[in-house]
Amino acid sequence: MKHEKHRSPRPAALAAGLLAILPVLAAAQQAAPRTPPTRGIFIEKSFPSIESGKWSGPRLADGQPDVQGHWSNTVGNHNNWTDPQGGIPGDPQTRNRKLGPRAERAPSRVSDPADGQVPFQPWAKAAQEDFLAHFFNPTEPKYIEPLARCAPGGVPKSFIWHGYEIRQFPGYVVFLFNSGTRVIHLDGKPHLPAAIKLWNADSRGHWEGNTLVVDVTNNNGKALFGRTGEFASENAHIEERYIFSADGKRYNYVARITDPTVYTRPWTATIPAVRYTAQDAPDGWHFETTLANHPKGEVIVERDERICVENNGGFGNVATGAPAR
Amino acid sequence: MTTTTTRRAFGLALLCATLATALPPLAGAAGNTAAKAPRAERIPRLANGKPDFSGIWQTTSAADYDLEPHATRKDAPPGPGIVEGDAIPYLPKALEQRRRNFEARNSADPRLKCFTLGVPRGIYYPEPFQIFQRERDLTLLFQFGHSVRTIHTNGTDHPKVPNDWWLGDSRARWEGDTLVVDAKHFNDETWLDRAGNFHSDALHVVERWRYLDANTIEYKATLDDPQVYSRPWTLGVLLHRHREKNFQLIENYCYTLDYDPHYPPKP
Repeated sequence: MKHEKHRSPRPAALAAGLLAILPVLAAAQQAAPRTPPTRGIFIEKSFPSIESGKWSGPRLADGQPDVQGHWSNTVGNHNNWTDPQGGIPGDPQTRNRKLGPRAERAPSRVSDPADGQVPFQPWAKAAQEDFLAHFFNPTEPKYIEPLARCAPGGVPKSFIWHGYEIRQFPGYVVFLFNSGTRVIHLDGKPHLPAAIKLWNADSRGHWEGNTLVVDVTNNNGKALFGRTGEFASENAHIEERYIFSADGKRYNYVARITDPTVYTRPWTATIPAVRYTAQDAPDGWHFETTLANHPKGEVIVERDERICVENNGGFGNVATGAPAR
Repeated sequence: MTTTTTRRAFGLALLCATLATALPPLAGAAGNTAAKAPRAERIPRLANGKPDFSGIWQTTSAADYDLEPHATRKDAPPGPGIVEGDAIPYLPKALEQRRRNFEARNSADPRLKCFTLGVPRGIYYPEPFQIFQRERDLTLLFQFGHSVRTIHTNGTDHPKVPNDWWLGDSRARWEGDTLVVDAKHFNDETWLDRAGNFHSDALHVVERWRYLDANTIEYKATLDDPQVYSRPWTLGVLLHRHREKNFQLIENYCYTLDYDPHYPPKP
């Protein structure tokens, strides 16, 4: 029994396994696009924009719009920041697979500028391309994607790395990510001193109707945006808007990113997300949950603890199905 | 009877006097009616009347250096210990394992790898943790490793098909104003302190959390593990609320320190 338990899927195993699995899923999805967000991996090629405005949905006792629950992005993982369903350029497993026209895949997460590209300064563009060129043959530590070493996904990559849970409390919105935990402070206290730089930065937010507005500073810039190597520096300033739809089923994450060390101008990232509920089947990626053992059979969704560095035995562990210890 | 009543009234008066100094805002709000208010109204509560443990907490004890009484040594300040009866009742074989752990403590303690501390170690580790509380659960966010433990208070039981978790599975109920947590389904990877005190995956922890006053929690944990201990035993610490202005947790993902200088690219 004990050994059986140890062999049950663990997040680290899943994380490493998906490195290989996701490009395939993204490719399969292009052939048979799925529309309803009800079962399995949910990937869409386009998504609605949501206007900021009044909130007419349920509220918590402290007045916050109630957006608690389980959420995940709808266009792809962090394989490719600007072409979310395009796979990792240079991937040996898909190198010979022909991608269709760009317009048949979800748009770039860079919604401004219009060309969908991060407005890198020349040195930064060269650094990003250098990272990508070495992604499949990381000859130096700097070419290893930090999330593969269990680093927190950071801002904004955490929103495209597995599903996550939002819990709300008076004065706080808390994100429980697959890799890392982020606390948004709503109580108006000042940011941490500038000398403190963090993987998940420091977040001060407030609600404007249906929109959670968050000011993000103290970012250490170490969490890359994706396997394609886009990045910011520790001088990044990120202004986030989480715009929730009236029916509470979706939100769009819209972030204005300013960093004079790395970019030629501010730019905007947009990431769509949907809510998963007990009506959806857990799929081990977007919706990683179990149902609670309630004596009267009440349907209650629960999230397992997330462990990574403790179990991170390298890709071979997973490939051979060896126990994680 | 008369004596008892008088004593109780005197006790209340004393309590109010104490609270008046310790808690200006609450005492001010209560004003002259304070003498009539039962002690129970003096602690933060949720809308459903249950104690609200929300806040940032930390022990001032030296428990994490060694749960048992110890004089100072190079890697630990002295401490009176937090174990009821002083000594952890190890089985003979386990005592030998503890001795080996102690010898190897400066390299073998899982905390040195920044691994999740486990239960109950996270509670008395010398870094703050934050409790966020809803009626259905308590979310414990530990600064160290920024790991998250959920204690369920919604009438659910332990899972029918459990895993062996680093933080176990925690289901709680209220006994009056005391939160009683039943935690089990642990793995055997965590230590209880820096001195090599340990448990197996048969560990079963029953925690009791209650307010002594609005800024102090009395925390007790009874540990049972028939593979390691000859009988259940109990430890206890006080947890103090962080009241410094603008105090907040600062994420401590210490396991990234060995590689984080490689990122991000520099101009």
